[in-house]
Amino acid sequence: MSEAFEFTKENRQALERILARYPVKRAALLPALHLVQEQHGFVPPEAEQYVSDLLEVPLIDVREVLTFYSLYFREKKGRHHIRLCMSIACWIRGCDGVRDRLEAKLGVEEGGTTSDGRISWEAVPDCLGACEMAPMLQLDGYFHADLTPERVDELLGRLASQSTE
Amino acid sequence: MPEVKLVSEHFGNELARGLKWRLQNGGYEGAKKAMAMSPDEVVEEVTQSYLRGLGGAGFPTGRKWSFVPRDTGKPIYLCVNADEAEPGTFKDRYILEWDPHLLIEGIIICAHALGIETAYIYIRGEYVQPYERLQKAVDEAYEAGILGKKVLGGDVKLDVFIHRGAGAYICGEETALLESIEGKKGWPRLKPPFPAVVGLFGCPTVINNVETISHLPKIILKGGRWFADIGVERNGGTRLFALSGSVNRPGVYELPMGTPLRELIFDRGEGVLGGRKLKAVIPGGASAALLTADEIDAPLDFDSMAKIGTMLGSGAVIAIDESVCIVQTLHNLEHFFSHESCGQCTPCREGTGWVFKILGRIIEGNGRLSDLDTLRSLAENMTGTSICALCDGAAMPLRSCVQKFFHEFEHYIRYKKPYSERREAASA
Amino acid sequence: MPTITIDGQQVNVAPGTTVIQAAEKLGVYIPRYCYHPGLSVAGSCRMCLVEVENMPKLQISCYTQAQDGMKIGTRSEKAIQGRQAMLEFLLINHPLDCPVCDQSGECDLQNFYMEHGRYQSRFMEDKIKRKKAYAIGSHVVLDQERCILCTRCTRFTEEISRTHELGVFSRGNRSVIDLFPGKTLDNPYSGNVIDICPVGALTERQFRFKCRVWYLRQEESICTGCSRGCNIAIHFNPTRRYKAGGRRVQRLKPRFNPEVNSWWMCDYGRFGFEFIDRNRIERPQLGSDHGPQPADWEAALDAAAAAIREAIDEHGPQSVGVIASPQMSNEELFAAYELFHNRLGLTRLALRNPWEEAGPEDELLLKADRNPNAMGGESIGWTEAADALLREAGSGRVQVLFIFRHEFSNAEAIESLNSAAFVIYQGTNWNQTAKTADVVLAGAVHAEKDGTFANFEGRIQRFRQALLPLEDSRADLDILNDLADRLGQPLAFHDAESVFHAWRRMTYSELDEYGMLLTEKSEVGA
Repeated sequence: MSEAFEFTKENRQALERILARYPVKRAALLPALHLVQEQHGFVPPEAEQYVSDLLEVPLIDVREVLTFYSLYFREKKGRHHIRLCMSIACWIRGCDGVRDRLEAKLGVEEGGTTSDGRISWEAVPDCLGACEMAPMLQLDGYFHADLTPERVDELLGRLASQSTE
Repeated sequence: MPEVKLVSEHFGNELARGLKWRLQNGGYEGAKKAMAMSPDEVVEEVTQSYLRGLGGAGFPTGRKWSFVPRDTGKPIYLCVNADEAEPGTFKDRYILEWDPHLLIEGIIICAHALGIETAYIYIRGEYVQPYERLQKAVDEAYEAGILGKKVLGGDVKLDVFIHRGAGAYICGEETALLESIEGKKGWPRLKPPFPAVVGLFGCPTVINNVETISHLPKIILKGGRWFADIGVERNGGTRLFALSGSVNRPGVYELPMGTPLRELIFDRGEGVLGGRKLKAVIPGGASAALLTADEIDAPLDFDSMAKIGTMLGSGAVIAIDESVCIVQTLHNLEHFFSHESCGQCTPCREGTGWVFKILGRIIEGNGRLSDLDTLRSLAENMTGTSICALCDGAAMPLRSCVQKFFHEFEHYIRYKKPYSERREAASA
Repeated sequence: MPTITIDGQQVNVAPGTTVIQAAEKLGVYIPRYCYHPGLSVAGSCRMCLVEVENMPKLQISCYTQAQDGMKIGTRSEKAIQGRQAMLEFLLINHPLDCPVCDQSGECDLQNFYMEHGRYQSRFMEDKIKRKKAYAIGSHVVLDQERCILCTRCTRFTEEISRTHELGVFSRGNRSVIDLFPGKTLDNPYSGNVIDICPVGALTERQFRFKCRVWYLRQEESICTGCSRGCNIAIHFNPTRRYKAGGRRVQRLKPRFNPEVNSWWMCDYGRFGFEFIDRNRIERPQLGSDHGPQPADWEAALDAAAAAIREAIDEHGPQSVGVIASPQMSNEELFAAYELFHNRLGLTRLALRNPWEEAGPEDELLLKADRNPNAMGGESIGWTEAADALLREAGSGRVQVLFIFRHEFSNAEAIESLNSAAFVIYQGTNWNQTAKTADVVLAGAVHAEKDGTFANFEGRIQRFRQALLPLEDSRADLDILNDLADRLGQPLAFHDAESVFHAWRRMTYSELDEYGMLLTEKSEVGA
C-alpha cells in the first residue's frame, strides 16, 4: 500500500495562488502536476488521486493528461535528469556522438537511471528550442550548449564533483 | 539588407531584462501611447502595418483581431503563444529571455485594443530559464503598477498569467493550446467555431505569437505605415529568423521581410560549416517543404515562400550541407512528427508512425524501391485529412524530400548506405 | 430550410443538420467510426469524408453542416479514395485475424472493407503490440490491439453514464484506451460500450465465443427489467442450444427509441435474461403431498376450472380471488379482467407489485418500479387491493386464489395462502408459491409471446414473439382462452392483437414506431 500524497503547506498555498488565476478549477491541472513533480520528483498514482480530488477533475482525466505530456514522470528519476535533444539541428551537428558518449559514460541505457540513483537520462525526439546551441542538452531544466563527446565528459565530471561536495 | 532591430534591439544586453533600465530606454512608451488612443485606432494601426502572425501561419494580425466579437457579455482572453516547439525554432526564446518587458508591453497594447482583462502566456515546459526570466519581469511589472488593477496607473485592469506547458508540440496549435490551459490533453478542436468566437473557457479569445505581440510597441510608436514599409507587400516589418544547422554562425537574426534566404545563410550565418557545399534548406521549421540549394534566392516572406511550394512558417531556417544524408534527415523529422502527433486523427496517428517505420527500414538496409511509391502516396493521403495541420506538416518534408532528392532514396535502397557520407561528429 | 444535393438527390433539412444526418434521410449511409448520433462529435476517425463541391479538401460529413445549395458526393472517386486511405491507416496496426475475432460478422472494419479495402496490403512493418483481451469489468473485455481509437467508449463514459472510467492515455500511435490502474468498468450502463464499439476492441465477457453472430436471429422486444420499457432486440439461437449451456437467448441489445431509451439500456436489463431459459415451469402441474407433479394441460385446466366453478356455485363470486401482476402484458390483463370480472362477476380482483424492494433509479434510464407494465393494469380496471384480498383469504372467506406470477415469501401471506382452499398459480418460473399451489399453469415469458406493455409514463409499446414457449408451457392468453371455454365463457380472443383491438380499438400496425401514450388513445377510442 503506497502512502497517500499531500502537498506541503507551501505548495498548498502555491496552488491557491494558481487557482486564483483561472475561472475554473480544472485549468490548474497542469500547474498542479508540475507542483507535485517539484515536490515529489515524479507523479505517483496517489498524487493523481489527490489532485483529482482537489481540483474536482475525474481521475481518468488526470491520467490522460499525465500520460499525454512528456515532461511528467510517473516513476522516480535520478537526482539529476538529462534530456538530450535529438531533433534536426542537433542531429545535423552530431548529437548521435553525444548520445553514445552519454550512454557509455553513464553505463545505462537511454531512459534509465544510474545504479546509484544519481543521474537519469533520455534522448528526446522533440526539439528543445535551442538549435543555435546544437548539439545541446537540458540538465535539470537548464541548457548546455555546443556539446562534443569531450564536453560530455567535462559536464558529467562537474556533476560528480558537485554531488560529492 | 541590413539587420533592422525592432524586437531584437536589446538581445544580448543583460540590463534590458530589468524593468528599471528598460523604462529608461523606451520601455512601455508604446503602451502609454496606445492607452491614449481609442481601441479602434490601435486596431487600425495594426491592420495597416501588415503585421502577420509570426508563429507560423502568417495570418494578418489586424484581421484576426477583427473576428473577435465585442458584445457577447463574456470576457475576452488573450493567449500568447510561447509554446515554441517547431524543430529549428528558438526565436521567441530570445524575446522571453532578453526582453520580456517588450512582450508585456505588447500584451498591454493588444489588451487595450480588444478590451481584454486577462492574458495567459502559454510557455512550453522545456523553457525553464525563459520562464523564470519572464516570471520575474511579470512580477516586476505588477510591483511597478504596470500590470494589475490599474494598468500603467490608468483605470483599466489587466492580469498576465504564465501557464507552463508540459512537453507537447501540438499545444502550439491554437486550439490544443486552449485545451491545455483548460487542463486537458492537447487535442486540437474541430473548427468552426474559431477561437476568436469560442475560445478559452468558451469565451472570445485572441491567440498571438510572442514575436507578433512584441512588434506592437514599435508599430504604435512609429505607425503601421512605417512598419509596413520596412517589409515587402502585404508582409509588414521585420521578422526574427532562427538560423541553425550547417552554418558557421547559427543564431537569431532580425531581418526585413523579403530578405533573400541566401543572405541569411551566407551573410548572417557566415556560410556553410567546414566550407562544405549547401545541399538543402528547411526555410520555415520542420513542417516546411525542403528547398534545394538552387532555390535560396527566394525572398523570405510568407507569400514568396508559398509561391515556391514551401512556407515561411515559424522563421526557423535549417541549413543542410552536402555531407548530410537526406534520407536520414527525413527520418529524423518524421520521428519528431510521429512522436508529437496527438493521436486523435487516424491519418496523423497512423500515417506519421508508418512513414517513420518505412524510413527506419530503408536506413537499416531493408528498403525496397516500391517504398518510394508508398511514401509518395502516404504524403498525399496525409494531406488535408486531419483536424489540425500537424499531419500536413509531416507530409510537407516527406513529399519534398522524396521529390527533390529521389536519387538519395534510390541510392540508399540500392546500396544500403547514404548517398552522402555523414560526418562522425560535429566539427563546429 | 437548407436544400442540399447528395449523390444527385435533393433533400430539405433543418438548419444545423449535418451532412451525415442529411444523407441518412435519403437512405445514404456514409461509413463512420467515431461518429455516433448519441455522442458528441469527435470528427477524428476521418472515415466519413465526402466531397463537397467547390471545396478543395474532402470534408468530414459528421461535422459539416448542410448549407443551402451544397452539392455533396459521398461516392465520388475522390471521396472513396479518401475513405480507402483512412481505412488503410486504421488497418495497419489492427490485427488481421478476423477468423478468431468475436466481432466477426458485426465489425465495421470488415463491413467497410468490402467497399474500401485495398485487398493488397502494402504495410510491411511490425504492428504495434498492445494489451490483448483482458476483462475491464464484470461484463466487458478490452483488446487494445483491435482498438481504432474512435473514442466512442470514452465519450460514453464521460457524457452518458458520466462515470469516467475509460480514457485515452499517451499520444500519437502509442495512444491506448484504458482504465485507471486498479479501477474497473462497472457502472450500470457498462454494456453499452460493447454496442457502440465499431470493432472487436470491446466485447461482451459472457457472450464472447459462445455464438457466431451469423447464427443469431433477432426479434424486437421490450425489456422487462423495470418500468422504463427500454426497446430491445432479443438475439437468440434456438437450434444451437448445445453450444450455450442450453440457452436459447444469447444476448439482448438496445433498440433506438428517442422517447424511451435513445440508444441505450442498463446492465441489469441487458444481462438479466437468465430467467428465460433457466428454472422454468416447463409444463402444468398438479399439487400433491409430495409437491407439484407434472400433469397434462387437460387435467390441469379441468382442475382449475372445476375449483373456480365449484367455489362460485357454492359460495358466490366473492369466494374467488385473483391477484394479477404488472409483469403481465396489457392483453393478458385485459383478457383476465374480461373473464374474471366481466364474465364471471368476480369482485375480489387485485393488481399487485410482485417486488418487495424497489429497484435502483437514476436520471438516465433506471426506474425504481421494476415492472414493465407499470400503467396498463390500472387503465384496464385493475386496482391495487392485494393486501385486503390476502387478509380475506386468511380469514377463510376466499375459497380459491388465482395467482399470476407472484411469490409470497412473508409468513403472513403464506398463512393466507394456506388458508385458501385452493390455489391456482399461473407463471413462468419456479418459486415457493408455485411449489405449494394446487394447480400450476405453465405460462410463457415475454420472449415467447406477443403483447404490449405500458411503461412508467403510460407509453404502450409492443413486444414480439421470438421463441416458441419452452417445452410444454403456453402463452398466457391461450391458457386463459382454454380456461374461459371450460367455464362456459369463451373469450374469442384468437391472438394478442385481437385483445389489443378489443381494448384500444386499433391494430398493432397503427401503434407508432416509438409507441403511444395511454392518454393519446383514450381520445381516439372515445
